[in-house]
Amino acid sequence: MGTNAKTLRNANAMPAPTWHFLRMNDTEITIPGNLSVAPAVSSMVAEDAIAPAGMFEYSLAMLQLWWEVAHPTDALQQASIAAVRAADAGATYGGTAQSRYQMRADAIEAANSLEESFETGVGAEAAEFLRQAAGDPLVIASAESQVVNALVTVQGASGAFSAAAIDVVAAMDSTVNLDVVVDSPDASDDAQGFTATTIRVIAGFGAQVNIRRMQTLDAGFCDIDDVGIVAADGACVEVAQTVLGGEKTYTGLACDLRGSESRIDIDLHYLGHGDQNHDINYIVRHHGVRTECDIQASGVLAGTSQKTLRGTIDLIRGCKGARGNERESVLLVDEGVRNRTVPVILCNEDDVAGNHGATIGHVNAEQLHYLQARGLSEKQAEALFLESSFDHAIQQAPSEQAAAGVDRLARAVLGQSVLMRDAEEDKGAQ
Amino acid sequence: MAAKTQVADINRALYDFVKSEEGSYRAEAGLTEDIVREISERKGEPSWMLELRLKSLEIYHEMPVSDWGPSIDGLDMDNIVTYVKPPTEQESNWDDVPEDIKDTFERLGIPQAERAYLAGVGAQYDSELVYHNIQESAAKQGVVYSGIEEALHGPYAELIREHFMKLITPREHKFAALHGAVWSGGSFVYVPAGVHMDYPLQSYFRLNAKGAGQFEHTLIIVEDDADLHFIEGCSAPKYNVANLHAGAVELFVGKRAHLRYSTIENWSKNMYNLNTKRARCDEEGQIEWISGSFGSHVGYLYPMSILAGRKAQSSFTGITFAGAGQNLDTGCKVVLAAPQTTASVDTKSISKDGGISTFRSSVVATPAATGSACTVSCASLMLDDVSRSDTIPAMDIRCADVSIGHEATIGRISDDKIFYLMSRGISEEEARTMIVNGFAEPVSKELPLEYAVEMNNLIKLEMEGAIG
Repeated sequence: MGTNAKTLRNANAMPAPTWHFLRMNDTEITIPGNLSVAPAVSSMVAEDAIAPAGMFEYSLAMLQLWWEVAHPTDALQQASIAAVRAADAGATYGGTAQSRYQMRADAIEAANSLEESFETGVGAEAAEFLRQAAGDPLVIASAESQVVNALVTVQGASGAFSAAAIDVVAAMDSTVNLDVVVDSPDASDDAQGFTATTIRVIAGFGAQVNIRRMQTLDAGFCDIDDVGIVAADGACVEVAQTVLGGEKTYTGLACDLRGSESRIDIDLHYLGHGDQNHDINYIVRHHGVRTECDIQASGVLAGTSQKTLRGTIDLIRGCKGARGNERESVLLVDEGVRNRTVPVILCNEDDVAGNHGATIGHVNAEQLHYLQARGLSEKQAEALFLESSFDHAIQQAPSEQAAAGVDRLARAVLGQSVLMRDAEEDKGAQ
Repeated sequence: MAAKTQVADINRALYDFVKSEEGSYRAEAGLTEDIVREISERKGEPSWMLELRLKSLEIYHEMPVSDWGPSIDGLDMDNIVTYVKPPTEQESNWDDVPEDIKDTFERLGIPQAERAYLAGVGAQYDSELVYHNIQESAAKQGVVYSGIEEALHGPYAELIREHFMKLITPREHKFAALHGAVWSGGSFVYVPAGVHMDYPLQSYFRLNAKGAGQFEHTLIIVEDDADLHFIEGCSAPKYNVANLHAGAVELFVGKRAHLRYSTIENWSKNMYNLNTKRARCDEEGQIEWISGSFGSHVGYLYPMSILAGRKAQSSFTGITFAGAGQNLDTGCKVVLAAPQTTASVDTKSISKDGGISTFRSSVVATPAATGSACTVSCASLMLDDVSRSDTIPAMDIRCADVSIGHEATIGRISDDKIFYLMSRGISEEEARTMIVNGFAEPVSKELPLEYAVEMNNLIKLEMEGAIG
């Protein structure tokens, strides 16, 4: 079986678009035709933690029942909002002239349906396509208070479309650690292929879900990393994503902090080199009271690489006491790079705090001065930052294969092995 | 009108009074080629201008309405009268202006402002300028401040042709095209090289006609080493049908020149304010935008600074206050297009009573912007939980040797601050007003005193009834 050529439009779309001339609202993903759909996916999970397909849908339906009891539709509040929106309704221009996305947001809230509002970061069309391509999903379900560790490896191969669909249902007070390694260890220099993972997560009451994904594909590969999360009361989700390789990569994550005091921490590290293009989209929707999110993105862009980061924190009416924070730092190394950033805060609730900040530029003067005082030129200083991207990845590598993938890329980009250098440094220290 | 020195002095009647349209000429409602030709013919324009109008009309019909901003479904162009000529010609002697119109501007304090601290005043009523005057001292320095249509027939005709709708082209967006087709009125300012204006110039736009549009065009050229402060004010009475404002402001700032452009926008809340403003700065030129947006049913307003010359600078300081029934989408655009350019953006927005305020911006650094820097800071204040405040800033950086910083915060007035002020005997309402005025202070401090007082009054006006 092979893929048919397909273009996924409106992928990685921002919920609230801006001027079209910026070409930042969304992206298109082109899937080439005639790629073999290869089962190049392996997983290591304890058997008792594997559940049948349909577990995710069932759990979401259960969560919906809880939600409806805990948070019934507030007809009085909806009527008061409608009355406010109807200001000057008698005039020809009457009513508040909401934007399309504002009307859509009101409609989704009025529907009060977890199923309808569940989304993944890359988008519905992509998620459906990827689930079809991936075949049967791997369903990881923890029992109450259980700790489950899972490792999924997606191996990119030339001429192949390698996809994995993963569902995680974390029961009350349980912990699920999911590591995903996406690599192309056996690819030749001119290899071309496509890899993808689509992950859906239900983090139950008080559950802890940790997702770590590391991508070290060779230059001829494209990759999609699609995640959708819904978190119940007190659930905590940590996501660490490392994007080092690939030609075109698409990272999308949407999280519904539905339960009170639920939180998500997202830590993204990326490296752009050659003519790579990284496209990233985060959407965190705060429904529950005192929910928190912290998005940290840092990266280095070298060569003629490009990166687009859309980050949306949506503070929805009722999420009193919520805190949303987003911070990005981008180091631009070479002329010819392009960085696009849209850090969005949507706010429908007064008792909240939303912050975002971005720092984009060269090595700053203070850092440079410090490094120059130690005998490093500006170019060497910048190389140091490139190197540190690989060092960080090595430290985060969830498996030996992942570490080997990082080292293979380091040799290609830096011309040296970070693993061997570390070993030599250790030897020297002894 | 008594000087406005106290918050308590203001009331909504200051802006909401309506004058009779008797004697005014109204074009037919809607937008047709015949109407466009008629406007051009009435003004006796050169043929290039008619061609531009007709081309703009064609573009208007081709272009889609934006799909990302506030809905403009309530604006039916078939019901908008694009040209309303008041029953007078442009005067330079205040006493010659018809009584009704004179009374309008006197209520708004324009002649008093002219005597007190302005170097020149232009007053537009519906589609035409009714009064234009510049102080002799400024005129002697070679400064030109006139109606743009008048200037089209004078010695500056060629200069206008070179600059008119060159920064804002009809293809910019649908309502820039509409402006190109039906523009009427507005000012032309020319400040010769090396001339520093000690006092500001001001244009005031009043839209009195029900269901009408105002499409004034402001063209300002500040030559090398010159300096100007230009103030723009606007208001209208409120009707139960939509009115439209789609003006255009094109600013050319020469080498080492400086232009400050201040606006207090207080259109009535049936207004669709779809205005476009753009400045281009040459080497070491500086543009400063001071912008207060308080009125309008719907607002789309994003002054743009194109820093085209080495070491050119821009700063944008803005405040937006969205109350009941309003959706104000405001912000700015910056293009760093030359080496060592610098830009700063500092905005505040306040939402209450179901009002929607959106800060939208774009910062683009081109490959030529080596050594450039830009900082963007936006803060939003939510005064209740039925309002909305969104922040949508975009950055497109195509040059490695730049420094771009961005900070944004959204929140509400903290209970601690209210409690602190109330413990010192200040009422809750007064405490909230004080805090909001403090929040707005970075903008009001940049305005001439009289306008700062007016802005504070507007905030006070909007805040009344905010408690409970």
